[in-house]
Amino acid sequence: MNIDKQRMANLQKAFNSIVIGTVAGLATYAFFLYFNIAIFGWNLGLLFAPLVAGYAETFVANKLIGENIGAISAFILFIVTVVYGFIIANPTLGYNIITIGSIAIIIQAAIPTFINYFIIVVIFGTLSYLTGFFKKILDKIKYTIFPEKKKEDIIDTVPLFNERESNELINSQDFIYITSTDPIDLDYEIIGFFYTTSIASRNTRIIKLSPEKIERQQLNDLKKGKDECLIRLADKIKSSGGNAVIDLDIVYFLNGLGGSDFQIIARGMGVKIKEEHPTS
Amino acid sequence: MILTSANTLENKEIIEYKGLVTGEALIGANIYKDLFSGVRDVVGGRTSTYEEEIKKARDIALESMEEKAEQLGANAIIGLKIAYDNLGGTMGNTILITTYGTAIKYE
Repeated sequence: MNIDKQRMANLQKAFNSIVIGTVAGLATYAFFLYFNIAIFGWNLGLLFAPLVAGYAETFVANKLIGENIGAISAFILFIVTVVYGFIIANPTLGYNIITIGSIAIIIQAAIPTFINYFIIVVIFGTLSYLTGFFKKILDKIKYTIFPEKKKEDIIDTVPLFNERESNELINSQDFIYITSTDPIDLDYEIIGFFYTTSIASRNTRIIKLSPEKIERQQLNDLKKGKDECLIRLADKIKSSGGNAVIDLDIVYFLNGLGGSDFQIIARGMGVKIKEEHPTS
Repeated sequence: MILTSANTLENKEIIEYKGLVTGEALIGANIYKDLFSGVRDVVGGRTSTYEEEIKKARDIALESMEEKAEQLGANAIIGLKIAYDNLGGTMGNTILITTYGTAIKYE
């Protein structure tokens, strides 16, 4: 009961704050209209009235309740000023850049955290990600300070992956990779489940190449990552006393921010195959 | 070269396990082809260009895998797995096709 009373009291105070804010805003708007304080025919009251309202409300709310209540009077003032300024007083003036600007300012005043996050993180973040704007500036600063460390940004040729070498590497470790789930002709003893993972980052330095070359580079990275993964899996199983893996699975997927990395997983049952049975 | 996803070859004896053979191929570089394929999707036809690209890529991967099996002296591949993964890229159309299996020698 006590809590409810407290809440009702707070609500009442919040309402009062909004009313005070709205009155302050209206007074400001009236002041600007009366003295016709305008630039290029655009009354500055449109901008200042909601700001004063929001400020007054926040100030009063902070005094009365001790917390921010969200500058609702700024919204009210915004609606009042737009309806009066653009529809009643000046019906020919429709949507324009100033309206959009004032909307932005009002919303910013009302919910600053969200809007600042949206503007700084989402819009600037997206723009900077797409254009590489900040990176260019940082690179310029970096290379001005450490000019000798600048590296060539473009790789011209992407070598073909040596499949033969990779095949020999994988299959010459005294270790046998078996993809079958249950090789019935082999006598083996299960050691346990093993997995290894490796990450291949997208090479951003080849961004200026043709798409075909980028793909070839990606494919090379993936193949290299896969070999690395398989060798590590073999090492892991060998160190646990095994000499083969059965039910081997190799999985590729995207990882990282915006799919910036490829992750490769090799997993399977580590086993020990008895000597007398056929393996290479 | 016999390719099978099964664990054994029926009526044949596996005399030697040769090792792992893999094949990989990527498709999706050609954005115009992708766009065309998108149009076909909207119109409702089969996206034959895309299907063909995937088939071509799968063949590349399988061939690469078979070559490796031959290199190891195998005459069959068992436990064959074929996987298709989306690796993002322009319009999310970079598809990685991987094939892998166990190279064996049978009699």
